[in-house]
Amino acid sequence: MSRVRPITNRVKSSTRKHKYEHQATVLRWFHSSSAICKSKSDNTHFQEILKHQTEKKPKSLVTHDELFERAAKDAKSKASFNRVLETFNKRDIRRRGHVEFIYAALKKMPEFGVERDITVYNKLLDVFPKEVFVPRNYIQRMFNHYPRQQECGVQVLEQMENYGIMPNVETKVLLVQIFGEKSHPIRKYQRIMYWFPKFRNLNPFPVPHQLPEDPVDLARFSLSRIANDLDAKITVYQLPSSHITEAGEEITHPYIVGIQSPDQCSLLAKHNPNKPVFVEGPFPLWLRKTCVHYYVLRADPVPPEEQIKEELDPEMVGPEQSFFYPQYIDLDLQRDLGDDDDFDVDDVVEGAVYAMCMTEQADQATLAQWISGLQENNPILGKVPTVFRLESGFKELQKVEDIRHDSRQDPHPEGEEEHAIDKEVLHSQGMKQ
Amino acid sequence: MLKTCSLFQRDLVYLQVSKPVLFNIRTVYERDYRRPGQAPDTRWPWEKIHFDFAKGLKGVKKHFGLLKAEFMERWKGPEGRPLEVHMLEQTRVLWEFRGPKTLDQWVVSSDREIGGRSEAYVKLGRNNSTCMLYGSLCSNVPQDGETRYSGYCAMRSKQPLASFDRKKHFDWSNFNTLYLRIRGDGRPWMINISAETYFSHQRNDMYSYFLFTQGGPYWQDVKIPFSKFFLSSRGRIQDDQHPLWLDKVNTIGFTLGDKADGPFQLEIDFIAACNDRAHTEEFAYELYERNPKGQKRLSSGTS
Repeated sequence: MSRVRPITNRVKSSTRKHKYEHQATVLRWFHSSSAICKSKSDNTHFQEILKHQTEKKPKSLVTHDELFERAAKDAKSKASFNRVLETFNKRDIRRRGHVEFIYAALKKMPEFGVERDITVYNKLLDVFPKEVFVPRNYIQRMFNHYPRQQECGVQVLEQMENYGIMPNVETKVLLVQIFGEKSHPIRKYQRIMYWFPKFRNLNPFPVPHQLPEDPVDLARFSLSRIANDLDAKITVYQLPSSHITEAGEEITHPYIVGIQSPDQCSLLAKHNPNKPVFVEGPFPLWLRKTCVHYYVLRADPVPPEEQIKEELDPEMVGPEQSFFYPQYIDLDLQRDLGDDDDFDVDDVVEGAVYAMCMTEQADQATLAQWISGLQENNPILGKVPTVFRLESGFKELQKVEDIRHDSRQDPHPEGEEEHAIDKEVLHSQGMKQ
Repeated sequence: MLKTCSLFQRDLVYLQVSKPVLFNIRTVYERDYRRPGQAPDTRWPWEKIHFDFAKGLKGVKKHFGLLKAEFMERWKGPEGRPLEVHMLEQTRVLWEFRGPKTLDQWVVSSDREIGGRSEAYVKLGRNNSTCMLYGSLCSNVPQDGETRYSGYCAMRSKQPLASFDRKKHFDWSNFNTLYLRIRGDGRPWMINISAETYFSHQRNDMYSYFLFTQGGPYWQDVKIPFSKFFLSSRGRIQDDQHPLWLDKVNTIGFTLGDKADGPFQLEIDFIAACNDRAHTEEFAYELYERNPKGQKRLSSGTS
């Protein structure tokens, strides 16, 4: 079959150019598959394509781009993508120009939303003609047999790899049929099948591919991820709602979801009421390709002279404590240098985190609502002044030049909104009464 | 074939007495990455030398100072530390970020070099006691007709140099685990360790592993055994895997390339190596020969 091709090419390049003009359509008919002539509807479709090709030369550098562009006109979906593949398959039994077509299809896949669909990839590999590129003797096997086609097959697999899709048995069967047992695409397939299962479940903080649609559910998921405490309790302080006032204005209430663990709660109870607590944020959190923002209620680090040494409960130290699960042991074992497993590094001094929350509106009123909600379980918040340190420019990343400028001049750029302290303290006090 | 090379390499590395000089003929004729469309650098090697008397004096001062320090530290013990520390230490803090000077040991790069639009910067954290790597990732591919993928940001430690610009290596053979204290924003990173190789064609070899961050306000302690690092060269995992040899480690790096466009940040407290006695694995990936030579294929192949 493949030997026919150079002959026709020679016809094209021969001196009988004037005849070629005349023969063009005839040749195309002669080489096209018999299946086309059988079905009436396809035939008309095929003629349409022909007309399209003869009428207007495509301007795009990517060949076969026009097939996808026309399909994209109705709807960009898996069905229309598959229809394009079928159209191409029916056009010519030899699948002439399939390498270019596959490259064009690979490029269009994210546009049609099928880049994570293994069946579509298999269908794309199905475009390759079978058994033509399989090496038949050892000489062919030794050299790179049909390098363009093999490269293209590898490219299909590489795109699958990039989107993290595991090939299946059908892919393997197709690749063996197309390229043979020891070809480059099969090697690529084997590599993917070797490494992918090894790395698949490596992430200790897994994120599902399909994140929850509901923002409250998403907030629950991300808060329980960052809290890293199974005892932590999630509270929904406000569900998203909107209502229209008598004046006709639409008022939307943003959702407020908070999380606090028992440890954080007891830490907050021990907080010195004379020192303020800070609401900081927004901090970004990435869940695959979506970014959510959270806020933190925290205190400044306690200076060493003010730290109260925890008195150990005498009951815990004495013989009353459990023998098997002692709370505190003071054994002076002779420890060698070789038994020292600590790191010789100064600890980073940071204030305690008391609670975290997520909301869709990043203004102080919403966050004050969160604080007043927190106050139910943490009565100390009524006595403690609350300061809002909100970085406004975080949502759309600050011009990095500005950040650099800031950091050079002022090591604590987060103090920018501290002028609002007094007003805000009053505000939060007012909220509490 | 690669396997035999590395067998040779082991012998050669141990036989080799003098350390290789950084400025050798290899750097002259082996080109690094050249951006598509950029004119090749046709200058002769001697045309790139800028002779400067002041710089020379400074260099002499610096290098002889280093030489003296190197000479004197031998009297204390190996690597300038007492012998008992050298033999008994179970943990070693390799990099800590406790002041502006510590950032000088790192190089930050992004796909700006290949024409991309990502940005990466490094600064000290809030109390000047952590390293904050931040910026924004953009995976738009530069339209130069050749580049196919883009969107990475990386931070890499500088190659430690001894006097007269000889390469110095880290010797981590006492340890089996890398220990990091980080605080990320939920993005996955990659840790790359490059070790000294003998042959020049192995200079792109890197040992990599993933660093998953949790996000949130809490610090995260990450322990990665060195046995888990897999060999890759020019971004491709190799079929022939080898364990990382810890006696000559050059650099360590962090790379982000998760194709999620937007701002990122990674805060690093310290990077250390420790000896995890519970970990006995030597290499996590299969090392058996793929097509054993002594064995004949049972089915005489016609396919």
